[in-house]
Amino acid sequence: MTLFETVFSGNDAVYGLTEGAINAAIEQHGADKAVSFPNTAYCLPCYYAVTGVKVKTLGELKEALGVVKTLMTREMRLNDVFMSGVATALCAEFIEVLKYIDGAEPYTEPCYGHLADAVIRELGVPLVTGDIPGVAVILGSAPTKEEAVALVKSYQAQGILVTLVGGVIDQVAEAGMKTGANLRVIPLGKDVTSVIHVVSVALRAALIFGNVTPGDAANLMKYTFERVPAFVNAFAPLDDVIVACGAGAIALGFPVITNQEGVSTVPKSLILQPDVAKFNATSLEARDIKIKITNIDIPVAFASAFEGEIIRRG
Amino acid sequence: MSEFKLTTVEEFEAATARLLETGAKVGADAWQFRVKNQTPHCKFGEEGVCCRICTMGPCRITKKAPRGICGCDVHGIVGRNYLKFTAGGSATHSDHGREICHTLYESAADGCYKVKDPDKLIRIAKEWGIETEGKDIYDLAHEVAETGLMEYGKPFGTQRFLKRAPESQQELWEKNELAPRAIDREVSCSLHMSHMGCSSKPEALVKQAIRAGLSDGWGGSMMGTEFSDVLFGTPKPIETEANLGVMVEDNVNIVVHGHDPSLSEMICEFADDPEMIAYAKEQGAKGITVSGVCCTSNEVAMRRGIPMAGNFLQQENVVLTGACEAIVVDVQCIFPALGPLSKCFHTKFITTSPIAQMPDSEFIRFDAHTAGEKAKLIVRTAIENFKNRKPELVHIPQMKQKATVGYSTEAIVKALDGVTNSQVDELGTTKPLLECITSGVLRGAVAMVGCNNPRVRPDLAHIELMKKLVANDIIIIASGCSAQAAAKAGLMDKRAKDVCGAGLKRVCELADIPPVLHMGSCVDISRMLVLAATLAKDAGLHISQLPVVGCAPEWMSEKAVSIGNYVIGSGIDTFLGVDPYACGSSEMVEILTNGTKEWVEAAFTVEKDIEKLGDAMIAKIEEKRAALGI
Repeated sequence: MTLFETVFSGNDAVYGLTEGAINAAIEQHGADKAVSFPNTAYCLPCYYAVTGVKVKTLGELKEALGVVKTLMTREMRLNDVFMSGVATALCAEFIEVLKYIDGAEPYTEPCYGHLADAVIRELGVPLVTGDIPGVAVILGSAPTKEEAVALVKSYQAQGILVTLVGGVIDQVAEAGMKTGANLRVIPLGKDVTSVIHVVSVALRAALIFGNVTPGDAANLMKYTFERVPAFVNAFAPLDDVIVACGAGAIALGFPVITNQEGVSTVPKSLILQPDVAKFNATSLEARDIKIKITNIDIPVAFASAFEGEIIRRG
Repeated sequence: MSEFKLTTVEEFEAATARLLETGAKVGADAWQFRVKNQTPHCKFGEEGVCCRICTMGPCRITKKAPRGICGCDVHGIVGRNYLKFTAGGSATHSDHGREICHTLYESAADGCYKVKDPDKLIRIAKEWGIETEGKDIYDLAHEVAETGLMEYGKPFGTQRFLKRAPESQQELWEKNELAPRAIDREVSCSLHMSHMGCSSKPEALVKQAIRAGLSDGWGGSMMGTEFSDVLFGTPKPIETEANLGVMVEDNVNIVVHGHDPSLSEMICEFADDPEMIAYAKEQGAKGITVSGVCCTSNEVAMRRGIPMAGNFLQQENVVLTGACEAIVVDVQCIFPALGPLSKCFHTKFITTSPIAQMPDSEFIRFDAHTAGEKAKLIVRTAIENFKNRKPELVHIPQMKQKATVGYSTEAIVKALDGVTNSQVDELGTTKPLLECITSGVLRGAVAMVGCNNPRVRPDLAHIELMKKLVANDIIIIASGCSAQAAAKAGLMDKRAKDVCGAGLKRVCELADIPPVLHMGSCVDISRMLVLAATLAKDAGLHISQLPVVGCAPEWMSEKAVSIGNYVIGSGIDTFLGVDPYACGSSEMVEILTNGTKEWVEAAFTVEKDIEKLGDAMIAKIEEKRAALGI
């Protein structure tokens, strides 16, 4: 299967799941049931950013799915792949918002799930000033938990904001690593769809700090491409759904670095790096993130990421 | 963001119409009128069924007269005409290449011509097995030049540069007796074969046409390009401008037109000379502007960023501006009409080559020994002519676009290095481009080349096809007058990424390139051969398997047919917008559009409907992708 076909197939799979989930929810709660993420002024932030439409009920969500379907064109052109990637992300957002019906709290420690606007405003300034030089999205399980921890710590030491999705969350937890927004290591969730919560950060940043008009998809993607220094580290094995999500990331300008052999590579966008130890250097170069580091020889880690750390007794 | 808009063909035409008004005032002739006088054209000629190679004729083939007096049938006649056409083109490029070899032979540390890219010279010498260690660079230059000159007439063996092709292509050439021997031999063998009473078998004639073409592409043209780089520098990306608006009203305008950079480089050199600029000011001008027309323009634009005033069918417009002090020409594609036309204005029409002598011109013979003083004389002549301008006739259309040019194969590989990741990739290969193609981000590449032809609305086919292809994520490499059409339209401005599909747009952004890459003049199509060969080798494929095609939508000259032959001869399917006088023979049509696949894995497609021509190219590219499973 060609790379494009893989993306389309992953997108179709996610779309099918989303459609099923929304129909089931309507059956259970009725079309007028309210849907929303907590602590955000942007309703479904990704869908709102891309289309300019605020979704508030299940019925509207179903209509929105119809709009998403129109993004899923199937010509063998990158534009179609990009739009399918975006459609995949939007479907993920729909699946995620269903988890929050009736004020449910679907995510528990250490996972965050949806991030509140306040978190974005707090992280936004250091992102703009370059104090946070990049955003790493780590997806899947590293070959070993030692490699997972080493990778996360390497970013943390550079002041890069790290978000975790999937098996890597358990890997760092098992190793006893502290995580949390105050440490700039944010576990999002175990399902692949929870990756949308970091996409949501990037898109809300564009709306809040970039003054992008909601619905102006072209400028939205231009802003994230030029201004949001994010990148994705996706561990093997990659399934079609992850590849489809990756297409969405690349559409926003975020390169994907993977150790999945046999993947159809694209310069600066989809890079095969078999050696996880080199993920950090490869990713930073791919996203043109340049960090000047003055190494201070001290016996503990030192980075702005540790500024919010809470020292507990014992 | 600054406003960016492509210039349309309608705008070109409006500017031309305004210039023709000036022409009408002074009684000037123009190609637009001569085309009318020649239309309708003779059908026998158009179909290639008229033969006049001996004085038993002229013969022409009709239903009632199916054979010429010698008994040759229509297939033989069309075939011979086709071969002669090719030989003319091959001879032209090859003689150009030969002149460059001679210039290289004349190069000296204290001479008019120097070696500007010694690394390239050493690379070629090594490729040819010439000892380089401990040699003075000029001794080496002379040895390489002499070896190159031998390629034209060596009694044994085949062209040295054939080794640059992938082995699969070399095997096909060997197997089918297509590997070109000495360049001049292939040209004269072609003329021999097409003499009365020699070959009249279409297969044999087409095979020789391919062989003569290959002697041009992998011989004469390739040496022309390589040694021009050695002498004048290998092109690197450089900013320039295109269209008539590059001429400056307050300055002395010198237009270089023709092909051989030995002349134009020298003119540019002296136009930059402070002494000359001071002289121009003395004569009432503010400075000196050199601009170019046709391939010599491409040469100096690629290396010096000299602006491009226009392409083939714009050569008369340059004079019609009334602001051209001198149009300086050497060889090939120069309208003899420029002589009488220049007489309507103050313009000096200066011919320089014994190869191209024309009535109503001032002949200043140019050669390698006296290049400096002759170039100075020419520039001085132009400056002194400034005062003779007729201000009431001066009108320069204020129309130009920015262009980034200078994409030699070396420069393209360097641009590709810019998108590699030092943690995983190696430098100096075409692999990033292959990755873009394999993944589908780019669907393929089209080499757009060729002339203008009044049969096709000038520049429209070039520009419309390019727009269609880039919108479909197909990257364009261009040369010759096709490249200039693109530059005039604005397709070589990096901002033109916005008219591309998402894939090509992203590639342009990441690699910082325009969507249409200017690879140079018509001899520089040899650069495209080297690029295709490198891509094939890096991918481990035959050239014919790459999703790459060639296209000459507005071709006109014999050179274009020679080019077409060597492009298909190198395994690249080629799409033509003008029929090569072959439609009178069903057998010839079959061979050219299908039969050649057996020998070289590629063939021609002729389609006069531009929309269909574009669709056919995209379909061919997708077909090649499907065959590779990408």
